[in-house]
Amino acid sequence: MTDDKDVLRDVWFGRIPTCFTLYQDEITEREAEPYYLLLPRISYLTLVTDKVKKHFQKVMRQEEVSEIWFEYEGTPLKWHYPIGLLFDLHASNTALPWSITVHFKNFPEKDLLHCHSKDVIEAHFMACIKEADALKHKSQVINEMQKKDHKQLWMGLQNDKFEQFWAINRKLMEYPPEDNGFRYIPFRIYQATTERPFIQKLFRPIASGGQLHTLGDLLKDVCPSAITPEDGERKTQVMIHGIEPMLETPIQWLSEHMSYPDNFLHISIIPRPTD
Amino acid sequence: VSRSMAGEKDFFLEEKRFKQYCEDFVKHSQQIGDGWEWRTSKDLGDGYLSKTHFQVRNRHIPSDLEEKNSDNTEPTLFAYVEEPLDDSQAAGAGSTQEVVRYEYHVLYSSSYQVPVLYFRACFLDGRPLTLDEIWGSVHASYQARLQEGPWDTITQQEHPILGQPFFVLHPCRTSEFISAVLGGSEEQHRHTNYIILWLSTVGPVVGLNLPLSYAKLAPEQSTNTD
Repeated sequence: MTDDKDVLRDVWFGRIPTCFTLYQDEITEREAEPYYLLLPRISYLTLVTDKVKKHFQKVMRQEEVSEIWFEYEGTPLKWHYPIGLLFDLHASNTALPWSITVHFKNFPEKDLLHCHSKDVIEAHFMACIKEADALKHKSQVINEMQKKDHKQLWMGLQNDKFEQFWAINRKLMEYPPEDNGFRYIPFRIYQATTERPFIQKLFRPIASGGQLHTLGDLLKDVCPSAITPEDGERKTQVMIHGIEPMLETPIQWLSEHMSYPDNFLHISIIPRPTD
Repeated sequence: VSRSMAGEKDFFLEEKRFKQYCEDFVKHSQQIGDGWEWRTSKDLGDGYLSKTHFQVRNRHIPSDLEEKNSDNTEPTLFAYVEEPLDDSQAAGAGSTQEVVRYEYHVLYSSSYQVPVLYFRACFLDGRPLTLDEIWGSVHASYQARLQEGPWDTITQQEHPILGQPFFVLHPCRTSEFISAVLGGSEEQHRHTNYIILWLSTVGPVVGLNLPLSYAKLAPEQSTNTD
């Protein structure tokens, strides 16, 4: 029987083979070769693509290079969403490698946040963690930590150090013995078809009678269209980290084991492939 | 760093009350022509307060540009802002009219149970202001206060309903400073319009001022929020 801790490792070390191609209208001095990279599902595009940037900047003139941004089939990719979420949401049922187009011009101001430095990524990451703890523990656990603990969470993510990260993150996954779970579950549900970027609501992991709420309960409450019809052909898939967890899975367990490093469950609702 | 100790009263705002305070707020805004409206999202029924206004950053304004309310669907208001020319402006740019369109949204954060102020600004040609440019338009005394105040910082974030980049005043310490401002018990302040109190404090920091008449929104005028 697989230990629950193995799930934590599988989530952390998930990778997506990706092919980066320079946008054809970018002005280059030589032909730009595509760049291949295994992207960590749990990280952020602008955190792990320094080599991609260097590779393409080598064939471009300095003045043609401004802030890098990424696009998949015409859709600008939000760097502040974890990579695994972007893939699941936009490309999970397409052939690998994931083909991403790289841009250095015409930054889409209306679609993407700017990311001028790693500090911006760190601030965003920490803000998500703090918000998750506000939901789980009324911010008590995160506020009791020292600055160096906060730094360790960020450094663990940045340097791909599972043990370093979880040494601190395990405290964010604890709850008082008299409770059976967190106060509320930090989650966001994404559908590429809506203008609203995601659905986020207050949701308790334990019902008033003490039963554990399931993933199915969450969806029924917050996004019922994702799981209708209940019998027969479902038109959508509910995906987390590239898999479809059973709807009977307790949401408390999912929150503890399949959250991203920002402590949120990022759930994609995507069309079921019709082959 | 001061933190709420366990047991100290933090003023949290339930979503129902948020909506009610916003409704009262919009009613008053309509009475005085202050330009706020409530926008409801079509899919989930949540919503937010919204106001757009234009700031003209120049001394010499032809009279027909002042106080102009156009016939667009969104209420547009001109706020004439007279600012001393700084060095960058004095150097030949004094006669240029810089019109900036500011858009403010007040949303509810269920995670922190407080209202949150989102805003963005752009020039008339559509070019968005950078955070530095927005800072530059904030009066110096507010800049100092923001740095020492408990609302931490302004960052760019995705608008949770529209999905577009906005600037946001961080909400995580809002309940702390609201309780500091209010003092007393939550009971005593049951009828205070939280939105007016909060917005009149954080708004000016980012160029948003509430006319004093909002203070007249007495408890008797508010609909019963219980």
